[in-house]
Amino acid sequence: MNMTRRTLTVGALMAAAAGLPIMVKAEGTKTVALLFDSLVSPFWVSGIEIMRQKAKAKGWTTLENISNFDDNKQFEQVKAMISRKVDGILIIQTDAKAVIPAIRAANEANIPMVHFNRPPAKSDAYSVAIQADNRKIMQDTVSFLVDEAKKQGGKYKAVILIGDLGDVNAIQRRDGFFDVVNKNKDIIDVVGRVATEWNADKAFAGLTNAIQANPDVNFLVTSSDFLHPQIEQVLKSADKWHKRGEPGHVLFGGFDGDEGAYARLQDGYLDACGVQNLFLEVDMAFGAFEDLWAGKKPDKLLLDPGFVITQASLADKREDMWGYTVWKKMQKAG
Amino acid sequence: MSTTTLPTERAAEPARRRPRIAERLLMSEYLVLALTVLYVLILWPIVPSIATRATMLDVLAAMMPLLVVAIGQTFVLIVAGIDLSAPSILATASVVGASMMTDDGGFALASGIPILAGIVAFVAVGLLIGLFNGLCTTRLGMPAFIVTLTTMMFFSGFALFYTAALTDDGSSFGDLPASFVAIGQGTVAGVPYSLGVAAVVMGVAHLVLSRTVFGRWLYAIGRNPRAAAISGVPVRRAVTWAFVISGLCAAIASVLYTGRLETGTPVLGQRILLDIVGSAVIGGVSLFGGTGKVTQTLYGVLFLSVVDKGLQLLGLDLASVFAIKGLVILLAAVLDALRRRLILRA
Repeated sequence: MNMTRRTLTVGALMAAAAGLPIMVKAEGTKTVALLFDSLVSPFWVSGIEIMRQKAKAKGWTTLENISNFDDNKQFEQVKAMISRKVDGILIIQTDAKAVIPAIRAANEANIPMVHFNRPPAKSDAYSVAIQADNRKIMQDTVSFLVDEAKKQGGKYKAVILIGDLGDVNAIQRRDGFFDVVNKNKDIIDVVGRVATEWNADKAFAGLTNAIQANPDVNFLVTSSDFLHPQIEQVLKSADKWHKRGEPGHVLFGGFDGDEGAYARLQDGYLDACGVQNLFLEVDMAFGAFEDLWAGKKPDKLLLDPGFVITQASLADKREDMWGYTVWKKMQKAG
Repeated sequence: MSTTTLPTERAAEPARRRPRIAERLLMSEYLVLALTVLYVLILWPIVPSIATRATMLDVLAAMMPLLVVAIGQTFVLIVAGIDLSAPSILATASVVGASMMTDDGGFALASGIPILAGIVAFVAVGLLIGLFNGLCTTRLGMPAFIVTLTTMMFFSGFALFYTAALTDDGSSFGDLPASFVAIGQGTVAGVPYSLGVAAVVMGVAHLVLSRTVFGRWLYAIGRNPRAAAISGVPVRRAVTWAFVISGLCAAIASVLYTGRLETGTPVLGQRILLDIVGSAVIGGVSLFGGTGKVTQTLYGVLFLSVVDKGLQLLGLDLASVFAIKGLVILLAAVLDALRRRLILRA
């Protein structure tokens, strides 16, 4: 039989067309969509990496989409995943209200939806949200710093770096801070509230201004560890970057538990860090999927209690600190 | 004197025919449509769901707001301008309009006609920003790029400020009336309402560009504004109107997006400028002005929306999505340059 090149090409394409869907389908028993709005910080990069690993360990297949902070695009991504008939959708939305139509679409398609780290706004639609207990973790972190301040004695001038107040996490962390300092007004005077909007440049400029206006600041809390490089730069410029126990040390508290926080804790510059237990949060999210697949109806909000890590507890707790995993990888990579 | 054909010339003839076919394909209005079908055929074996009715309806519903705003952009591109402020019009109209009608203390709730008041606010924002762009470009002689870039920056900031000042959480306006939400989400027999809105906008825009003197003025200005002015075309007035139409279309698109998301958000459309301009250019509207049709914009929007949907269905990471989309838009820009060369040669 004579076979032309065209026949061969068409035949090969048809064979590929017939085989590919089978290959895709055979990869896993459950398919879960991971819909992130960005991967702009180590927290999210580590988060998606942990999700991939844990999903693989369970024999699940994952599909990924990043919306790049576009609510409408994320809605389209949810619809695309519904078309793919995935078994579950894990979503990190940008706006708590704009995600509601996406939850409704998932509800209609009977596909479980789990929000990671950011709960949606209240609505009649059903989904499960996993969130760190931001307020409690921040309260514990600041309480540790206040206890340290009391031990050292004297009066303290404090600055807090606040996140984007459109983000409920930022609001809860701010509230956790003020819950504690407001009870300790006799020794803590909050002289600066820097609105960073989760923007490193704004954080740098705002903290610089706050320290220029109040050169005797000696108590600093950031709502996220990703701002540490800017904080270090500003404190160095103001000759305030000193280790614990050294004269001029600024009591410094962080939040998140990233690799920078681990390094600064280890080096003695950071006193305490409120850690979101990313490993536990992924387990909780995947557990919620399993519950939903089993016909159970978990609560709409599940809280990760998190923990505070200090130099004293560093060796015991660091394995649960996601930033330590990143730090180890970085050390290995040189 | 008789002419003879040399053997070498005869041999060159078939070789000449090939570029002619390529040229015809390149100049065809349906090239992008053919590429869209080809893309679906390529992806279909990998993700069969790309060819389902549900996915097609999703693509239709998702592309309508983009189509409306891209049609507005087409008017400005035809006069050799560009409107970079479209995303900020989407955002500003979204928050101003939503703030009028939100059940959570909307300004127009007491009026008894909050939805109408909200929609008027959407349209007013679009018209005013469009008019401002047009006047700055034509009366002050400022480049459209600079004018619309600065209005984009200003109104993006304004939308954030407005939302922060008027909402509890500082992020967005929710609790919009159900009948307004239906404009963006509702369907009749599975066909989205937004399709009707976009069809009206498209029909009117097509008529204006192809059947009216105003439409001819726009093309004439895009080809050669000086020659158009000498021929009696009111260049300033026509260009101003092109920007006003662009603003109006962005406002209508904002209604559709806001209804679709049930939320007035200050970051609406902040990442779609490339899609707006890119879809018109991919369709065949020239960045150099003077050519372009509404149907070409439709094909461009369809192509980009299908590309997007395909990438979403594949579940690729962001880097791959950006790389593929960037490549597609670059390819369109190259095609546009080639088209222009062919037109000049002809």
